[in-house]
Amino acid sequence: MNLTICLLMARRFVEREQIRELVEGYRGLGDAAFERTFERDKDDLRALGVPVEMGSNSSLFPDEVGYRIRRSDFELPAIDFTAAETAALGVASSVWDDARLGGEAAKALAKLRASGLDPDASRVAAFTPTVGAREPAFEVLWEAVLAARPVAFAYRGLDRVVEPWRLVNRTGAWYLIGLDRTRGEGRSFKVSRIESDPVLVDGSVTEPDPAVVERHLASLHARRDNEAVVAVRDGAAPDLTRFAEPAGVPAPPGFSAWRVRVSADAAGDLAWHGADVVVLEPAALADAVRTHLEAVAAWR
Amino acid sequence: MAMTSTSQVPRLLALVPYLQAHPDADLAATASVFNVSQRQLVADLKVLWFCGLPGGAPGDLIEVDMDALDAGTIRLTNAEFLARPQRFTPEEALSLIVALRAIEEMADADLGSAVRSARAKLEAAVGGGADRVDIAVAAGQEGIRGELADAIAAGQAVRLTYHGASRGVETDPVVDPVALGTRDGYGYLTAWAHERRAWRTYRLDRIVAVTPTGAAVGDHGPVPALASGWLDDRPDAAEVTLDLRPEGRWITEYHPMLSVTDLPEGGTRVRMLVADPGWFRRLLLRLGPAVTRVDPPEAAASAIDAAREAVAQAGAFTEAP
Repeated sequence: MNLTICLLMARRFVEREQIRELVEGYRGLGDAAFERTFERDKDDLRALGVPVEMGSNSSLFPDEVGYRIRRSDFELPAIDFTAAETAALGVASSVWDDARLGGEAAKALAKLRASGLDPDASRVAAFTPTVGAREPAFEVLWEAVLAARPVAFAYRGLDRVVEPWRLVNRTGAWYLIGLDRTRGEGRSFKVSRIESDPVLVDGSVTEPDPAVVERHLASLHARRDNEAVVAVRDGAAPDLTRFAEPAGVPAPPGFSAWRVRVSADAAGDLAWHGADVVVLEPAALADAVRTHLEAVAAWR
Repeated sequence: MAMTSTSQVPRLLALVPYLQAHPDADLAATASVFNVSQRQLVADLKVLWFCGLPGGAPGDLIEVDMDALDAGTIRLTNAEFLARPQRFTPEEALSLIVALRAIEEMADADLGSAVRSARAKLEAAVGGGADRVDIAVAAGQEGIRGELADAIAAGQAVRLTYHGASRGVETDPVVDPVALGTRDGYGYLTAWAHERRAWRTYRLDRIVAVTPTGAAVGDHGPVPALASGWLDDRPDAAEVTLDLRPEGRWITEYHPMLSVTDLPEGGTRVRMLVADPGWFRRLLLRLGPAVTRVDPPEAAASAIDAAREAVAQAGAFTEAP
């Protein structure tokens, strides 16, 4: 702590011997103990993101090296938030349902508060969402994305090395999008389905083509490329008919016909409605739903 | 330095500017801002007492008023050299920005624009890389969320037009709304349901309309946390075991399970609690041939009846549409 203050206050590079004299806690140490302690503290500070610079004050005597922390590299730049923005920041630390990331967000907010900001959480508390990160593989992938480092893991029975591009959460599930080096192509991985503990590996990540990333992001949404005509019992299955158009074909009493968009393997989704939904077209989908339901009917 | 631990230094570096920006800060409030116990905070302050300008003369050290501290107030002086906090680490910045993304997904129009601009300023301050993590929540329409937020703020009861999932029909319950939140990627309204005289949660993307009733909300005691789902330890919940083929394993990712075991002959055995028989019937109908065993067998009875009815009905339709 005192080393930080000492180096931060200095306008010039401070030489080792000066540091030893100036910093409380170093003064009483013997030569070897000082060297050891100073090196450790310096490494610790760098690991904490404190930019400890090394250099010389003199071009004539470049061997006389010293250390300093440049104030502009160290200090959080002033950010001018409006009152509404400040209020929004207030609840941000309670969003993560994950001790580590929640702690990181809380530390970031403490720094904002230390710069004089005072978010009042209560004003927006009604909107507090919760984001979990329960998948065991999540933590290492998060580090890989942050550090832009490739990561190795097993997925669908194959060991892979992946350059991470994006870590995205869709309806509660985390996905990693990246370049599968083993296959030489970009793809998405459901984090909960990763079969081994991921490991960071050496190397770098090549920045992807934004269009490729967009395509993978879009593919995470459920595909509803197929059209079907279904008879729906009036008042039932509103989630199916909400975005549908009337099909304009006759339906039995108490039912209406709707044209709906469904995924390629919709049999299970439609069987979920039981006798409230009957597929009229296409015939292949009607057969698939009937086969699906017959399997259940045959359990007894 | 020898007396400070590695996790303590970053906190001390933020604590010093915080206490200068907040003169006479409350001990308990400060401890909660920094996510530490009051005891730890007092230990931090004692370390700060030995910190200060190089040289270490008494007038150069940070001063903490110990009498005020005994009264629960922190008064720190002689620290003008450390007036601003340290920059964000990449991890701090990203966890905060992603949290803001999640709030944006849940917000109404006013808050949404404030969150967006706050996030843009943070992203500009930390440089690139903030788009590497993203979140989307199924939280319905911004307008619906806005109307609910207004009703919550005003303490007004509302009538919902709600497309319920477990019964597959539209209902219009009158509720006292109290909070919006998310669980597993879906946004929910927590409200007191008048007719059922109980706390209920409603998925925001299934609420299609909100109508003010003009009545004030009542006091119904403590609001239950949203964290627990249908697996709540209800006395009437029944334990069911399912054996699944690989194509049915997805349910372990969507629903809480008591246990998940891989079977030696292939497939998966799951144990789960079922509180809503209607929901379980539909789950079995959706899984269909992916289920190889249901225990106890009675748990499948209603799904079997429903499947027979549906097959018979489809047959009748195709014969005489």
